[in-house]
Amino acid sequence: MDQKTMSETKIETTVHGMMAEFTTVDSLLSACRRVRDAGYTKTDAYTPFPVHGIDKALGIKPTALPWICLIAGATGTCIALAMQIWMNSIDYKYIISGKPYLSLPAFIPVAFELTILLASFGAFFGMWALNGLPKFSNPMFTDPRFDRATDDRFFLYVDASDERYDAAGVRSLMADTGSDYINEVVEDDSPKEVPKPVFLIWGLAVAASLVPLICILTMRVTNSSRPRFHIFFDMDFSPAKDAQQVTSLFADNRAMRSDVPGTVARGQMEESLDMLSGIDVEALTLSDPPRVERLVRAYMQADDEAKAEEQETLEKEAEEAAEVTEAAPASVMDTTPWVENNPLTVDAELLAIGQQQFAIYCSVCHGMDGYGNGLVNQRAQSISAPTWVPPASMHQETLYADKYPDGKLFSTISNGIRKMPGYAGQIKLKDRWAIVAYVRALQKSQNASLDLVPDAKKAAVEKAVEEAKAELKRQAEEAEKAAAARQQAQQ
Amino acid sequence: MSLAIPNGLDNTVERPGERAPLVLGETTYHDITEAVCKVAERPPSKGWIGGFLVAFALLQMLGLLIVYLIYTGVGVWGNRAPIFWGWPIVNFVFWVGIGHAGTLISAILFLFRQEWRTSINRAAEAMTIFAVACAGTFPGIHVGRAWLAFWLAPYPSLNLWMWPQFRSPLLWDVFAVSTYGTVSLLFWYMGMVPDLATFRDRSKNKYRRMAYGILCLGWSGSSRHWMRYEKAYAILAALAAPLVLSVHTIVSFDFAVSQVPGWHTTIFPPYFVAGAIFSGFAMVLTLMVPARQMLNLEKLITIRHLENMCKIILATGSIVGLAYGTEFFIAWYGQVPAEQFAFLNRAFGPYAWAYWTMISCNVISPQIFWFKKARTTPWIIVVVSIFVNIGMWFERFVIVISSLSRDYLPSAWAYFTPTWVDWGMLIGSFGLFFTLFLLFCRTLPVINMAEVKATLAKQEHMAHLHGHGEEAGEGH
Repeated sequence: MDQKTMSETKIETTVHGMMAEFTTVDSLLSACRRVRDAGYTKTDAYTPFPVHGIDKALGIKPTALPWICLIAGATGTCIALAMQIWMNSIDYKYIISGKPYLSLPAFIPVAFELTILLASFGAFFGMWALNGLPKFSNPMFTDPRFDRATDDRFFLYVDASDERYDAAGVRSLMADTGSDYINEVVEDDSPKEVPKPVFLIWGLAVAASLVPLICILTMRVTNSSRPRFHIFFDMDFSPAKDAQQVTSLFADNRAMRSDVPGTVARGQMEESLDMLSGIDVEALTLSDPPRVERLVRAYMQADDEAKAEEQETLEKEAEEAAEVTEAAPASVMDTTPWVENNPLTVDAELLAIGQQQFAIYCSVCHGMDGYGNGLVNQRAQSISAPTWVPPASMHQETLYADKYPDGKLFSTISNGIRKMPGYAGQIKLKDRWAIVAYVRALQKSQNASLDLVPDAKKAAVEKAVEEAKAELKRQAEEAEKAAAARQQAQQ
Repeated sequence: MSLAIPNGLDNTVERPGERAPLVLGETTYHDITEAVCKVAERPPSKGWIGGFLVAFALLQMLGLLIVYLIYTGVGVWGNRAPIFWGWPIVNFVFWVGIGHAGTLISAILFLFRQEWRTSINRAAEAMTIFAVACAGTFPGIHVGRAWLAFWLAPYPSLNLWMWPQFRSPLLWDVFAVSTYGTVSLLFWYMGMVPDLATFRDRSKNKYRRMAYGILCLGWSGSSRHWMRYEKAYAILAALAAPLVLSVHTIVSFDFAVSQVPGWHTTIFPPYFVAGAIFSGFAMVLTLMVPARQMLNLEKLITIRHLENMCKIILATGSIVGLAYGTEFFIAWYGQVPAEQFAFLNRAFGPYAWAYWTMISCNVISPQIFWFKKARTTPWIIVVVSIFVNIGMWFERFVIVISSLSRDYLPSAWAYFTPTWVDWGMLIGSFGLFFTLFLLFCRTLPVINMAEVKATLAKQEHMAHLHGHGEEAGEGH
């Protein structure tokens, strides 16, 4: 009754459609099905929450939104990759952390983030666009009871523009579905124009927002005779001192500070020059001061030029010595005052290190026993390598400590001689001295008499010698027997 | 409702074959609207005003400290050689981590159809946004010349003639965190639009109606709109889920891609993500347990919801504990002396106090949630979740500070001491967070009404099927 009066009073206004109110989801759904089955297509339902199954009940088609998202996401990936490749591999090349200019793995995170960002924009803005929102005016809002559509009521709506629309027919169909509130929806006739003050305020806000921008631009393009205003004075003018400046910060008023005692500068090392070069520097100072200077530059200051020069001297000396050896004693030509004794304390530990290092680096040519018949030499001999210079035997007299001092041996290991390259780069300083000690031990071990063995170990050595002799004898007998057996077999 | 609830409002009793009800009592759709809208409609309580004043005062302090910092220079912080990253980055990683639970609840639990998320996701998402805002503050002011922070953006600069370095995790971070903030904001706002329409329709005041009217974009509840809306929501959830994992992964790259012992590890991405979820859930609980009581939302945010979150805390806390163990194992197994030293130094070096605080808060304290009694007692939940928050802050502290303070070179070792500005900014960031959160409670729907109503509809539908078997066939 009440509804009738309402619709009658508004008979002159445009009718937009018909709505019915329901209190439960189930009644709405069945009403939707009724309306759909009656052939209405321009229908809609209004609910406070998404009702599942209503798409089918109303005949709503699926949305194209996922495709919009996909396209937006793919655009994001492309933009990100193109941006990074162009910026970091083409326009502004800069090597950082050894990565190539075009390092795709490093570009993945940003590409991923932009993909997500644009796909999300696609979902968010695409959804509102497809829904035709924001739209602040809606004929449904003219009905006072429609406020409950966002609270706890469900509305079914049939649009007047539907081909089958007929006010009485729709109303009776809706009444059939059990709705207790049915009403015609009238066109929203409230003024459509946005109030003028809104534009005024909007315009003012836009204008005000441009002010700082214009200020900045003006400042950038105009010249000024006044100095720039420094907000952060200490960042523009660093309080750090320059060299040779005076300061009140230290008692001596000098801005430059001297080294802290004990500072080890680059190129300075803790070992003595004697130990580094194998040359008795004190003695050399008397005979050849320029060479000492060069040695200091070569070893203490890591001066490559001085090092090469020193190397040359050594090679020349070695060549001359080699020529002379054939004619006269070597000691005549060798004027370098070599270090006579190993600067390290020679003990079992050092010898063990020397033995290990000798086995690693020297034995391949010089042989494990030092007789100069290592595997490399054997191979070279077997193929008659034309440029091969056979390695020296450690057991020739010219290499004994009295003729070939420890320092010289050390220098030979470090700098090389004839075809042998220098091993300073491969073997540590102390290990080279350990090899020197081991070579000396190796030399002593040959031709050593039993008297040199300490009493405590004599018995053990004698026993070992006996055993070795017995073993040799046994092997000889076995070989003889085998030979006899072969002869018999042949006969 | 035919579903009997024993012991009044207890829905934590397991009944096999039946889902626990997520909305309690004789609740109707209108009751939900009333309960949620009342929070924003009635005048603020004394507790809210007091809390807001304190939080706002702390926010003012943060603002003043930032001004002081920018005007004086970053020397007012305790960041000294070799610990240049220091406290601000600890806070940054902490706050970003807090944010993760919001997106996890709203996206990942949505994708897994975990309906218990419906009444907590709104507040959790709000928390995400506010936490990201707090997080963004710190790197912003940490760059030294904060007013030039826009140089991070790839724009054609006429001053620099150069582009940002896209091979650096620090720049990935800029993209990850800003994308994360933007997408979370969209997700949060989009989820809120139908509820803002409810606010609009209930508004008596003209200006209030206009403000909510603009915010809800003219939402009418049309089924055609709902259909696209739900599709868009599902897509956003599907996009946000990998995003949330990527963000903390990229944050962890800041560390993992470096050469510093204790940082240079491949475990960082998963370990950071687990820790982020852990700390985020702890923060959700810290906020929600008092909030549900003060705002009278016990029927919507039930003990069941709290219990579920406690279970997640227990799981992620154990993952974090496993990660701590794995780090030690790998340090030993990898046989890198610097790495071994870094971890021994964490546990027994000068920062041992921070390390053991972290272990006891993060690994030991959540283990109490093995007991159902603990999971369902609100005050225990709050205490443990506060412990977890403290522990997770210390986790970031231990990672950042202890590794930097004991690097390869003993000559470059130092002990980090925060200054009063460091402390003030950490406390001030909580002021920012709580100010935003309290304003949110007063002005926006704290619970996703539309989704809770949908859950209630489903629950009633199920109850209908169970309770009236003979009627179940009717109309279906």
